[in-house]
Amino acid sequence: MKRARGGGDEEAPRQNGSAGRRKGDQQQSDGDDGAGAFGPADLQDDDNDPGLRREIRSKYRDLINSVQQNREDMLSPSNNKLTEVLEEANKLFKDVRQAREAALDAQLLVVATDLGKEKASQLFAEGTAFDPTAYAEHLLSFMGLNRLEDGEDDQQNGGAVDGYLPQDAWHRVARRAECCFRTSPSFHYMMGSFHAEPPPPKQRIERQRKAPSKEAKRMMPTQLKKMESSHQEATEKEVERILGYLKSYYQDDPTSPISYFEFVIDPSSFSRTVENIFHMSFLIRDGLARMYLDNDKLPCIAPVEEGEVEAGGSCSRKQCIVAISPKIWKELIEAFDIRDTMIHPPSTQNE
Amino acid sequence: MTQLTAMTQRKRLSNTQSRRQSGSLVVQEEDDDTTFTQPSTSQVQRGLEKLTPAQVDQKTAEVVQYFLVKDQKKIPVRRADLVKHVVKEYRNIYPEIIKRAARTFDQVFGLKLVEIDPKSHMYILINKLEAAEGASPINSPTNPKMGLLFVILSVIFMKGGVVRENLIWNTLKKLRVDPGEKHEEFGDVKKVVTDEFVRQRYLEYARIPHTEPIEHEFRWGQRAELEVSKAKILEFMGQLHEQDPQTWSQQYREAHSVPNSSQPSTSSQR
Repeated sequence: MKRARGGGDEEAPRQNGSAGRRKGDQQQSDGDDGAGAFGPADLQDDDNDPGLRREIRSKYRDLINSVQQNREDMLSPSNNKLTEVLEEANKLFKDVRQAREAALDAQLLVVATDLGKEKASQLFAEGTAFDPTAYAEHLLSFMGLNRLEDGEDDQQNGGAVDGYLPQDAWHRVARRAECCFRTSPSFHYMMGSFHAEPPPPKQRIERQRKAPSKEAKRMMPTQLKKMESSHQEATEKEVERILGYLKSYYQDDPTSPISYFEFVIDPSSFSRTVENIFHMSFLIRDGLARMYLDNDKLPCIAPVEEGEVEAGGSCSRKQCIVAISPKIWKELIEAFDIRDTMIHPPSTQNE
Repeated sequence: MTQLTAMTQRKRLSNTQSRRQSGSLVVQEEDDDTTFTQPSTSQVQRGLEKLTPAQVDQKTAEVVQYFLVKDQKKIPVRRADLVKHVVKEYRNIYPEIIKRAARTFDQVFGLKLVEIDPKSHMYILINKLEAAEGASPINSPTNPKMGLLFVILSVIFMKGGVVRENLIWNTLKKLRVDPGEKHEEFGDVKKVVTDEFVRQRYLEYARIPHTEPIEHEFRWGQRAELEVSKAKILEFMGQLHEQDPQTWSQQYREAHSVPNSSQPSTSSQR
């Protein structure tokens, strides 16, 4: 009923006995996605894990959104997206435990049913179906579209042909459509214009056409397609470079600890120091370096060996915020008697 | 001029009318439509007896003019406004005046005065005469908005009478009219379509229940039902698609089943 064409069998599970099939699904395809990768023992935590719950709800919302956004495309008889959406929803449903998620599932069902209804109505319509896309194409031709490409019957592509419309495009349609309207005639001047106050609407429109006001198109925010990658990459490179320094210092003498402050502080530049601290924090976060206090309770750092990485992941993680001011910076330089930077700035690296 | 007649009228009224009548006049002056009750036939009769034919003709002419001017924007005329601004103290013979105005429109202008909404009492004028084939001898300026309206009405009709707004916006986008942008001829397209056309009663724009986010759908408004010929739309469709209009059998049947009559019955089903 929902989709009478192209894949009627997918519909069946959702209509009747959906619970049975879904239960089966759960056993078969556990581990299909991250959300399903929990054993039955974890089920209890699984139910209450807010992160997982959120993820399911978010996926449901994405699915509902995608149906709503692509509605017109999905209505096309050749489009199979509805089936895919329903399959996706079935997958999501096996992890549904709470009422809120079930409500979203129901909402998706409403959307999908509505779409299915419209698809069905297309099928049962008698006579020729009306295709608005084709209509738009014909209208464009009627309006005198000057096509740049020869896309006469390019209906499938949403009529996205380029070309420009003549000035009087809409007047042509209006003139042709006039005979369909039994509108009472409106006043107009028989012999050209005569400025009256207030101007009658017809007059105003006519003037507008002759001298189209240079009204700027409404400003729309341009969508950010791709993040500027260079900055991101620069940070990554710098982090790796610092890891290289750290490893080489460590290898020079694995027994003596490397003082954190001596490592990050650049006595000639406060800003470089801050940058080093910033980049260092990535290494700590990613578990590539670790910090510890030596016998004097001073922070030291060491690179984490390849084999150690996993072990490090299991031990409890701590967070801290490193603050530094130029005053502290100067004090540290004096206290540690730092003469030279251990991390050379990228430009002087080659020397 | 209107002012003058009104004044003399009031004087005359105060002279001749009974106390009860002038009392009700004060209530009526509160210009709310609810206070306007259609006078009964006998009341109209009595009112007419107290006026000269020339006075009634004069008031009728004023009403006709009011309609003609108001019709320029195609916004329906509300009875409350008509009574408040033109009919005024002639309200006791209102049915007679509207009857005469309708006759004038019919016989002099070839227009038909239609009450489109019996509940809120709104009137529109429609053309009684079929548009002549081919270019009209009078070179009247065309209104491009009628082209826009035509496209919307035709899509609604071809899609069976009701469409979601998205379909309309998508179709318009293909015709280089983006509802989100200012169009050089239509200005704020969204406003023209969902506000101006709706107020003119060419379109109905209603929220679809139980949708999240909110969605709307379009239908033909009462004015469109009265004014626009479905058969002619279909004819144009056939021309555009190079197809016999009869191949859209459903639409064809609808277009030819009910002659585009001017029954306001369609309005009551809202």
